[in-house]
Amino acid sequence: MNVAAVGAPPEVRGMVARLDELLGRRVSMRALALLRVLAGPAVLLHLQPFLSDALDGRTYRDAFYEPYAAWYPELPDSVYVGLLALAAVAAVAMSLGFLTRVATATTFAIVAYNLFLSTTHFHNNRAYLVIVLGLLAVAPCGRELSLDAWRRRRRGRPAMDTTAPAWPLWLLRFECTAVYGASGLSKLLDPDWFGGTVTWQRVVRARDQLEAWPLPDWAVSALTDRGFHTGAAKLIVLTELFVATGLWWRGTRYVAVWVAVGFHLAIEGSASVQVFSYLAIAVLVVWAVPATRERVLRIDASAPRQRRLGALVRRLDWLARFRVEPAPPGSRLELVDRDGSTLRGGAAVAYALSRLPLTAWFALPTLLLPGVRRARRPLSAE
Amino acid sequence: MEPALRVVARRAVVVAVVFLQLGFVARGYWADHKEFAFQMFPESSTWRADVVRVTADGRRVPIELSWSGYRWDELVRDRGLRYPQFRHHADAGLANQLAFLDAALDWVADNTPRDRETRYLEARVTSWHNADRPRVEVLRSGVREGAG
Repeated sequence: MNVAAVGAPPEVRGMVARLDELLGRRVSMRALALLRVLAGPAVLLHLQPFLSDALDGRTYRDAFYEPYAAWYPELPDSVYVGLLALAAVAAVAMSLGFLTRVATATTFAIVAYNLFLSTTHFHNNRAYLVIVLGLLAVAPCGRELSLDAWRRRRRGRPAMDTTAPAWPLWLLRFECTAVYGASGLSKLLDPDWFGGTVTWQRVVRARDQLEAWPLPDWAVSALTDRGFHTGAAKLIVLTELFVATGLWWRGTRYVAVWVAVGFHLAIEGSASVQVFSYLAIAVLVVWAVPATRERVLRIDASAPRQRRLGALVRRLDWLARFRVEPAPPGSRLELVDRDGSTLRGGAAVAYALSRLPLTAWFALPTLLLPGVRRARRPLSAE
Repeated sequence: MEPALRVVARRAVVVAVVFLQLGFVARGYWADHKEFAFQMFPESSTWRADVVRVTADGRRVPIELSWSGYRWDELVRDRGLRYPQFRHHADAGLANQLAFLDAALDWVADNTPRDRETRYLEARVTSWHNADRPRVEVLRSGVREGAG
């Protein structure tokens, strides 16, 4: 409790104490470590046009640009280009987890500096990238999935604590939903958007491109029909708002993640959004429960299929959801969930794949199959 | 037990970021440049402009013609402003697009020192906000000192 809260009513003091507990609660930084690894390629993609111009001897100053503020420091061209190159190197080091804290902070500082050089540099995907890098820079997310951790192990030094106060993770979750929420809300409040005018006009004007796609005539007709967009626009708006809210509750989180991934893939296929789709999908890993190895996968190493699944899980379990343990020969594959309930056989395979980042999107719908749903046996039944 | 200063600093940072983000989202509803407001694909609006240089002797020369060794499409390469004579989608909304065009006129006026004849640049803009009727407006750069 701090001085400012001492004179406050008990309810306010209680709220402040709960907030402080939430922000200071130690949680696993695994999701942020994985996001750090994934963020490096996004930075390189983001820097590519700037570096490409620099290689051709051009910088932003050679054409129209508009500084945000007269006092904002502008560097000589050679130093500016050097900084961009340093950012690229730092992004690689950040992904690899080499001098992670310094590399991440350097990447963030240069990408942010470059963004604020000119109003013409600003795009939503770049803003999101800066936010993500800023939060990664303040989180101790280099203690696993990193060369730093590997070097430490190699020197025989004890591993560092992979938990840390949760506040950067909560802030990143907030920012993630702010993006969907702000976008959905702006469309909801705009009658042209919610009524379908905006999407209809965009598609009609791009009819030439649409007809170049391998689509049947009826699909092109439907997509350019005004009535179709009256419904489709509402679906888009509600999708964004659902993702923004659905991510916050465990009951809807997996559906929201699945919908969000599909939504981004659809956007990527129909619009040019620079690094946005990749980044937004990568950020979804922050919604994993911030605790590791809470589920157990028991495999019979003498059974080839189970052995292959075990190897797959070990390789793709980037969020460290599972402990893979040996089971007696002849045992069925068994998965023990956090709550102690168990799944066996095919249902266990489906569930395991639904918890791996790379296979989750394909495997999550299989959890709705009646056979898989019925296969779960509660703790008390064991 | 964590130091009280750290707890308070952490709380302050989180509250500041949340309010700042919400502030940016709100600001997006009136600002031309909507930084951190995350209004994606906001409009289907389109625009085109006839941009001319108005010289000291009153001539109106289209910027499609190079002048004093300058070319518009080399001076203004970004934000969909390279070929203003063609009708374009306003990617981030009409207000944002026209704010950029206005700033580009000023930038070109201020950054073409070999040009000694242009007094100012002028853009006659026709814009279509979503499905609304077209609207025409005129944007001008600042007047250049010493022209002519």
